[in-house]
Amino acid sequence: MRFLLSLSFLLAMPALADTPWVIDLAQSRLAFEATQQGGKFEGEFEQFSAEMHFSAERLEDSHFDVSIDVTSIQTGSGQRDRELPKREWFAMDEYSQAQFETSTIRHASDNADYAYAAEGNLTIKGHSEPVVLPFDWQVNEAGQAHMQGEVVINRTTFGIGEGDWEDPSAVGHEVRIIVDVQLNPQE
Amino acid sequence: MMLRNTTEHWGSPAKLLHWLMALGILSSMTLGVVMVNLPMSALKFELYAIHKSLGMTLLVLAALRISWRWLNPVPALPQDLEAYERRLASWAHGLFYVLLFAMPVSGYVINSAANFPLNVFGLVQVPNVVPESEQVTEAAKWVHATLFWFFAGLISVHIVGALRHHFVLKDGILRRMLPGRSAKEI
Repeated sequence: MRFLLSLSFLLAMPALADTPWVIDLAQSRLAFEATQQGGKFEGEFEQFSAEMHFSAERLEDSHFDVSIDVTSIQTGSGQRDRELPKREWFAMDEYSQAQFETSTIRHASDNADYAYAAEGNLTIKGHSEPVVLPFDWQVNEAGQAHMQGEVVINRTTFGIGEGDWEDPSAVGHEVRIIVDVQLNPQE
Repeated sequence: MMLRNTTEHWGSPAKLLHWLMALGILSSMTLGVVMVNLPMSALKFELYAIHKSLGMTLLVLAALRISWRWLNPVPALPQDLEAYERRLASWAHGLFYVLLFAMPVSGYVINSAANFPLNVFGLVQVPNVVPESEQVTEAAKWVHATLFWFFAGLISVHIVGALRHHFVLKDGILRRMLPGRSAKEI
């Protein structure tokens, strides 16, 4: 009996360490905060999917690979949303997907607000840039995880708002990306 | 310096508000005409931002102005005006006060219904007053543009009237609104 117990424990270990997580899209938000004419507005991407592997005990085996459907962008303004698919902004005909894939997940020793940091490459509109996303990961008693993080990127790095639109007074360069995701362990 | 109005003279605050708003309104109208005719661009955005900031400032000034008018006597019209002229003047001035509010408010509604952020001169973020709606945006745009023509017409009448009083009737009524000519004048 004891043998069986320890065997099952041993078998369970790798599964625990490399837990794949499934995002509960209805409870999750991939949002951003930007400025237009000096005033703040918020938007979000309603559709995204991800392969999420995370274990606080084994950060070295943790890995995120997130695909974002750029065409699902909503900023709460029909007028604004009609501009975004255009070539100067997201060029959605050509680039309908954005991606964030991590290379390293580590403790965020340099950030007092968040426990972890995901280093990776963010690709939007064909531009790939290294980005570090500081985040928190909390697992509740029911075994569900809540991930929260935020990072400020410069939209011009990714060619979002080209030509005339590079002017920061019309639309600010800094965009704060807000990740607020609920996850369930994969069955 | 005379602060309060009398039954004959405008005090400095009333004069200052009149000319400050005249400047703001003419700038705002010029900007408005230019910006709506520009193709979509960052410059267009910036002109809109200035126009909206000016508009919100004018709305505050309008509130100040009408309060000041309520708290003060209003200088009387010249004695020798015909009854219809008095009625016309009172209607025109009443309409001015309506437009001083209706113009910025309808603009504010356009911006709110478009769910655009509104930051007055980069200093104060103003909340939106109505939920996002393209129908409301279009309706408010129509109101704003229609009132623009009323306003432009009324300002023309106002200016022509003031010049008539000054050059034809020579009753000193225009001078009454000019700076630094308050109590000593008569």
